[in-house]
Amino acid sequence: MTMRGFAAVLGTAAVVALAIPSGAQDQLLKFTGQLLDVRNGYVYFTSGDAFKLADAPRIADYDTGKTTTLQPRAKLFARAVFNPATKQVVELDITAKHLANDAQFAHIARTYTQTKPVTQKAPEIVGKPLTGREVAVTFIITVPPTTPLTADIYISTDAGGWNPREIKLDRIDGQRYRAVRRFASGTQFAYRITRGSWNSVERDQNGLEGEPHMYFTKEVDAHSETVTVYAWSDDRGNVPQQAAPGAIPTPFNPNPFSGSGFPPSRATPPGGFPSPRPPAQPNRPPR
Amino acid sequence: MRLPVLIALTAALFASATALAGAAPPTSLDVTAKSVDFFSNRFIVTADGDVRVRLSDGTLVTGQTFTMDLKLNRYLVAGDVHVEGPAVHAAGAAFAGYPDLDRSYFLTAAAAGAPPERWTYYGLAWSDAHAGREQPGDAFQFPDLTGERPYIYATGARITPKTNVLFSLPRVYTAGVYLPLPRYVVTFSANSHFYENGFQGARADVALPFNGSEHSLTALHLRNDPLNGTYLALDQHFVWKNDWIVASIDPLTQEQRQYNLIGSKWFSPALQGRLFLQESAFQTGIINKPLDAAAFGEIQLSAGLRRSGLIYTQDNYFQELMGFRKPADDTMFTFFYDPRWREHPMNAVLTWTGFQNNLISPTVPLKFRLRSGFGYTHDIYGEGGYPNLQPGPPTLTYHFAGGAISTTAITVLHDYSLTVQYDRQRMWYSEPHHVDLGDGRIALSRDLPRRHINYYVAYEVRTVGDYWGDKQLAAFPANPDVVTTAFGTFSGQSAFRGFSTSRALSASVVYAPTPYFALSLLGSRNYDYPAPVPGLYGQPPLQLVGDLRMRLSRQVLLDLTRSYYFNFANERYTPQFVIQVSP
Repeated sequence: MTMRGFAAVLGTAAVVALAIPSGAQDQLLKFTGQLLDVRNGYVYFTSGDAFKLADAPRIADYDTGKTTTLQPRAKLFARAVFNPATKQVVELDITAKHLANDAQFAHIARTYTQTKPVTQKAPEIVGKPLTGREVAVTFIITVPPTTPLTADIYISTDAGGWNPREIKLDRIDGQRYRAVRRFASGTQFAYRITRGSWNSVERDQNGLEGEPHMYFTKEVDAHSETVTVYAWSDDRGNVPQQAAPGAIPTPFNPNPFSGSGFPPSRATPPGGFPSPRPPAQPNRPPR
Repeated sequence: MRLPVLIALTAALFASATALAGAAPPTSLDVTAKSVDFFSNRFIVTADGDVRVRLSDGTLVTGQTFTMDLKLNRYLVAGDVHVEGPAVHAAGAAFAGYPDLDRSYFLTAAAAGAPPERWTYYGLAWSDAHAGREQPGDAFQFPDLTGERPYIYATGARITPKTNVLFSLPRVYTAGVYLPLPRYVVTFSANSHFYENGFQGARADVALPFNGSEHSLTALHLRNDPLNGTYLALDQHFVWKNDWIVASIDPLTQEQRQYNLIGSKWFSPALQGRLFLQESAFQTGIINKPLDAAAFGEIQLSAGLRRSGLIYTQDNYFQELMGFRKPADDTMFTFFYDPRWREHPMNAVLTWTGFQNNLISPTVPLKFRLRSGFGYTHDIYGEGGYPNLQPGPPTLTYHFAGGAISTTAITVLHDYSLTVQYDRQRMWYSEPHHVDLGDGRIALSRDLPRRHINYYVAYEVRTVGDYWGDKQLAAFPANPDVVTTAFGTFSGQSAFRGFSTSRALSASVVYAPTPYFALSLLGSRNYDYPAPVPGLYGQPPLQLVGDLRMRLSRQVLLDLTRSYYFNFANERYTPQFVIQVSP
């Protein structure tokens, strides 16, 4: 290399060496997030990070870039502009509209936050990330064999305010009902199976009331939830209520048009009520 | 004797329930602000402007904004936050409460040159802040409520975590307008017993829950039914983890009232009790002596055994609480009763039910289940006897045994499945009398998931045999062949001698292309003997039921059901419209 070439390389290197730091100083970094507060010279974001404000930070409108009268406060979204040299926020562009985090969010938060670092782990904080993807969930409910073919079966959930008729299922064969719903992964609720009212709700094999089923939507494409109902709370095992007024030992369907406009059956036994039972309908008011 | 026993059991139930009431101390958040909003779709309460949150221990947290996710049970106060209490005076940017973790997280404000810190409080130990401890990554995040409309606007709210929110002076979104109310309680508990119903059926029911706590809920209801018209009703719930009581007056504003009380108690995981008391009274005012009254009481005890269960059920009827009407004619107004009349028939039955077992082996799809029991009925004026020649003896006992055998769904011919089941029971009475019940069903179904179609065909035979031995003809003498009721004249009754058969051929198809739309059709052809009489017994010979369910919007689900009876009893369509609106 000639002396002249060496001098040229050296000169170029010197120019580059001088130019790099000044260029880095001019490259302002940006952090976008939702505000918690601006207080005592710091701006706080919902990530839990606090950044030091410069002495006279510029407050501007996010869309126009012009100075705004909008004051930074909780729930507003903001873009903080940092001076890397001082690690301070020199400009805050605020808006009421929802802003997504930018790509450098985590890196800048880690680098520039003034919040004291975490020094101690918290074992009680557990969990795994969920994307909230939509998952097709099929509920398949097997009912007791004695359940009438025409019976309506429902799922009642705490998310739906325990409406006993919240999710209606369709009978798919002699014993099973089915419903398909879509839930975001992570969806969690408690549920019970009913026949449309809290007077007819599922029971365990031994006739006891159990705890509600707990459902959680996993991070999968599709999921099937199966439940077997062994008995209903109003199931009397075909035992007639012999002493009921008007009861007859042959349990025919007393009202084939349930829910229709027909008046309720009085189910008077053949031959009428036994004497000396009064002929009046019990508790019927005088007219 | 029976009544004192019933009362003693009732008292025991109440006494044990009350003892549980004080077990858990109440916790709550009292929130006041310029605006408190509730977003029912998300179970989120927000508050903005001069927010003051008083915790149940008296600690006051103030700030600019508040938000609480009721289902996740976590809350956040942000913006110029101050935490004030006997042991704490702190200022910061945000305060997050996680009752389920028993932790509170605080983002302090920088002071005197010291940078902000993350503090963690354990429980209510405000004097001991743990700095630099790990906090949930989203502890200070606000929920995204873009596009959500508040269901309730209010100025204050008392939040009982995991249970309910009582809003002060709310405006509740109802039928397109915000209706101002003095108080309103939103219950979001995962405990279903807050929703136990103490009312009879109605065509419409609008509830105004106006008072609530960790263990109680009080609601006024505006109801409508064909018998009573439009009226007010009241119910009061007391709820613990597994035990509950609901008391109701329904109607409250009509002269014929029904007082109901239902209680349930878990004495242990394997022993549960349930009580139902009902009094029906005709009274001109709610504190006046009734002109007529009747009552019904039922107590049920369920016990879990090894691979089986026992259920004891006792029903008591008090037909004439006022005594025997004089004269015995309900068309005449009277205040005179014979107090010597003490009619209270009762029925008690103890039922044993076995678990469902494999008939041969777990690999063979055959299951069976057995049951048995015995019962006792008593009516001083005569119980049982011939159906047409009552009264019988005052006391009757009976016992029964039965079982069900069924298959699980057996796959046949690729996408078809077959289920078969048969249930049989015999009941013997202390009289020379027994009743046989039989129910057999076979169903063949096919599932076409790609076409979103499922259909099945089922055939069912039910039989009832009422056997009286050599007194059969006395029990079921020849009746007129024709019966006339309010629904018409029906023939085919004269040959009935206590043995009935009901056969039904059913076919159903369900088309459900999306979770938001489903159409199902069910057709039935019923063959009953004796011939059906509407209002008394039997099934309509032909019946077609259509059900269309469609979600019209996020809040409105339309469920339209119509039945067609092919002019049986002059009945064609029976419309039923169910429009389910969630706020």
